[in-house]
Amino acid sequence: MIADPLKTQSAAKMTESPQHSVAPVSARHDFVLEVNNFSVDYGVGEDMVRAVNDVTLKLRRSQVLGIAGESGSGKSTLVYAMTRLLRAPGVISSGDVKLNLTNEGDPEEVTPLSLVDASERELRNIRWSHVSIVLQSALNALNPVLRVSREFNEVLKTHRKGMTRSQRHDRSVELLKMVGLNEDRLARFPHELSGGQRQRIMIALALALDPELVIMDEPTTALDVVTQREIINELNDLRSRYGFAMIFITHDLSLLVELADEIVVMYAGAIVERAGASELYQAPRHPYTLGLLNSFPPLHGERRELAGIPGSPPDLAELPEGCSFAPRCPFAMQRCRHEAPPLTNIGDSDRSVACWLHSGDPSVRVPVELSREMNPSRTRVTALKERT
Amino acid sequence: MKSLRLPRSPKVIIGLVIVGFFIIMTVIGPWLAPYNPSSTAFAPLLSPSAHHLLGTTSLGQDIFSQLLVGARATMVVALLAGLAATILSMTVGIAAGYLGGVSDEGLSLLSNVFLAIPGLPLLIVIDSYLPVSSRSNFFVIGLIISLTGWAWGARVLRAQTMSLRNRDFVEAARIIGEKRSRIMFTEVAPNLLPVLASSFLFTVLYSIGAYVTLAYIGLTSTAVWNWGTMLYWAQANNAPLSGEWYWFVPPGICIALVGTGLALVNFGIDEFINPRLRAGGLTSRQRRKLGLPRRIRLGLTPVIHSTQNQAVVAAHAKLVSR
Amino acid sequence: MRMLARRLVLYIVTAWVAITANFLLPRLMPGNPIQTLIGKITGTVTPNEIRAIRLSFGMGFHQGLIAQYFTYLTQLLHGNFGVSITLGAPVSSILREAVPWTVGLIGLSTIFSFAIGTFGGALLGWTRGSRLDALIPTATFFQAVPYFFLATVMLLLFGSDLHWFPVLGAYSQTVTPGWNLAYISSVIRYGELPLLAIVLSSLAGWMLGMRNMMITMIGEDFVLMAVAKGLPRRKVIWHAARNAILPSIANLSLAIGLVVSGALLVELVFNYPGVGDLLLQAVLNEDYPLIQGIFLVITLAVLAANFLADIVYLWLDPRTRTVAAV
Repeated sequence: MIADPLKTQSAAKMTESPQHSVAPVSARHDFVLEVNNFSVDYGVGEDMVRAVNDVTLKLRRSQVLGIAGESGSGKSTLVYAMTRLLRAPGVISSGDVKLNLTNEGDPEEVTPLSLVDASERELRNIRWSHVSIVLQSALNALNPVLRVSREFNEVLKTHRKGMTRSQRHDRSVELLKMVGLNEDRLARFPHELSGGQRQRIMIALALALDPELVIMDEPTTALDVVTQREIINELNDLRSRYGFAMIFITHDLSLLVELADEIVVMYAGAIVERAGASELYQAPRHPYTLGLLNSFPPLHGERRELAGIPGSPPDLAELPEGCSFAPRCPFAMQRCRHEAPPLTNIGDSDRSVACWLHSGDPSVRVPVELSREMNPSRTRVTALKERT
Repeated sequence: MKSLRLPRSPKVIIGLVIVGFFIIMTVIGPWLAPYNPSSTAFAPLLSPSAHHLLGTTSLGQDIFSQLLVGARATMVVALLAGLAATILSMTVGIAAGYLGGVSDEGLSLLSNVFLAIPGLPLLIVIDSYLPVSSRSNFFVIGLIISLTGWAWGARVLRAQTMSLRNRDFVEAARIIGEKRSRIMFTEVAPNLLPVLASSFLFTVLYSIGAYVTLAYIGLTSTAVWNWGTMLYWAQANNAPLSGEWYWFVPPGICIALVGTGLALVNFGIDEFINPRLRAGGLTSRQRRKLGLPRRIRLGLTPVIHSTQNQAVVAAHAKLVSR
Repeated sequence: MRMLARRLVLYIVTAWVAITANFLLPRLMPGNPIQTLIGKITGTVTPNEIRAIRLSFGMGFHQGLIAQYFTYLTQLLHGNFGVSITLGAPVSSILREAVPWTVGLIGLSTIFSFAIGTFGGALLGWTRGSRLDALIPTATFFQAVPYFFLATVMLLLFGSDLHWFPVLGAYSQTVTPGWNLAYISSVIRYGELPLLAIVLSSLAGWMLGMRNMMITMIGEDFVLMAVAKGLPRRKVIWHAARNAILPSIANLSLAIGLVVSGALLVELVFNYPGVGDLLLQAVLNEDYPLIQGIFLVITLAVLAANFLADIVYLWLDPRTRTVAAV
């Protein structure tokens, strides 16, 4: 079910040679997005706070990458900075983001574009037509004084210059149908729609130009559970039909397990675990992942007791020495308090984790919760059902 | 409780310096004045000289002395009016916002009515009926001006109070059984400090304008020197048209400077109330050092290029090393 | 529509308060100003005129306060604002002469300064941090200068010294009023400098207000979305400005009162034959019926302008106009 998860480099290697090119040339067209050693700061100089620290990730075409973490973990900062949408005082301090654009005529041929080096004009050209974004609150994301039709019209008019007025209208109606809305919604203002309708409109808008990558920043957080469920199903359906790749940010891991192919867990601006969705869910390796999994009930099934994670997210300005998670970690060892664990592949699997428990040191006893075996015969959904 | 800490921007500092200067002038101006401003002992219409820094009027009065003495009346009336208006708007605004319901409807209507009536014409009507003896009374004039200038503050304070009403600490005081008036003035009012300060400055600014205008059209006592009466006499003697700029320009500039100072301080308070107005985290020096653009455009997150500035990146790396 | 009805009620109440204040003020003030006034003019005007003046104050003979109040209201309803003491003519006909000049001058200058100020403020807000920021202290200074002072300086500089503009009065003495080209172009020429003075004085207020709102709006998600959609820059600015202008219009009620007050004095400086100049003459001569008439007319005009602004607001902000229908 999981199409081979990304092969990632070891963190140790990354720190050795930060300029090292990551993607093998032959496989380039497989990836829509490649992020290498990417760091983002708020402010510069003495007051600087590092919000994203040395993140490397790749996203295959038509796949869903989930990014999970508490608020302040840097997950939103990461994607906004990646797309150069991060507001001041955000500054990209190192690394590269490469977007591999397909050409209209030949899908086999790709043109790489570095978003870090791109000019304003280049960015404007790829925005929305290649990369679109859906925000947490559609009420804030839609201009309150414009009718819905105007939002569609504007995007089509800007990026599809050849379209006539009636073609634009037809396309808008078609897009609304895709997300299960009637065309009479076009004449409405945002405040006249329900939260679910607004978010569906945002999704329809995001798909208006058949982008290769859609970024979803907690698109269902502001909605009730039933609507959340419906929208997740719709997204799954839309993705299989239209084949866009997706980055889905949320603090709710159980949501990602149903949607994502691969999941990245972030803590204090860095990736702490990366694995296929089923692996991560069935056999978490990082104590923080375990904590996140225990914090939320799965969408299917009954509620179970929420264990949560003790303590609160760290102050990025005053990160502790060693592992950032150590102060909240139930399994913290002496070593964790003064040495930060690198993100390393574990065993001979494709997953990686940044935790000293999995360093291979025979004297360290890995707790049962973090050494669970993966059952390859079980699918994600059956695994979910068994657990609940 | 939020304490009012003004952002240390050049705007605010310049504003405070200007306002401070004129407050000092208010206090010591009359003592510094070289002559009696009403004395007609000198030759008329002298140009500025060492003896008469700003020349003399057509009656032979020393203009510089008038300017120094006039500062006191102008500022005192404006401050009185500002104070009275702020107390009025605080009472009405906080009561309306806190009590809600019918009281709110009534008080809001009251402030909206006063907001809709044009202030200056009302002032002129009231003032023109005043006996001449009252027109020289600072308190009377100040109170009348405050009557036309309190409504805006009340409206802003009401909105702010409503947002505070349901916060935990107010709720707590209510449960403990504190008296309403006590909650309003000890729990709610301190949290309104920034808004209150802003509305005070705004009213002082308005009051200076109103007082000077009344004086300019001859509706305050001509026996009291203020910057408006100076302009009144200058206008009445055709000073502007006969080119005696030293007679009418200095009081006008003083009025404008005080106003500018107050407005600049208000900028600081605005930035305190609305964090979005604050400059976005990077000082201009930091931006220059990093080779970042002067203005950070929306949708174009700046990038520190390692190849361009190795030293900066090294300094950066040192800071983030954990 | 509910909002419009509410505002209309407010304006009616305000008008009533203004009228009542007008009635009560002369009676409550110490020293009985009306009696003093009548004593002063007895002998210079006919007994008939004195009667008319008393009547316009609502002072029928041997009436109680309440009865006087109703007499006063009836007189007002019939358009009788009384008789001017100094000019000897009915206040209503004097006002009919002056009001068009004022409405033309202040109306036009308000439209100009609002348009330029809003546009400039939007630009300043968008380019925040750029060199254009240097304009802010200058704008602040102009905002603080009294209208009449700026007008005087401009009159002196551009009128008397440089002779760029004709000044004093509303049109040249050599042309005959009427629908002829010479008269109309003269009116326009004479109006230029007063207009410029009012625009320059009121511009900064609109500009700084709009700048702050623009900066606040740029922080909103929908503006970031406009960028994310790859819209051209001017479209992005439009998204923000379209919303930032709303508070500007909502605050028009405060601003109109201030602008009108200031502009009245500009008329005075330029000897412009409008209401402002009239008001000064009335104040100097203690012509109470005229002062009161002018106050009422100005108040009613400002209320009407406010109502107009409300309608514009309603038209621009769909949130106030529709009832949610899902």
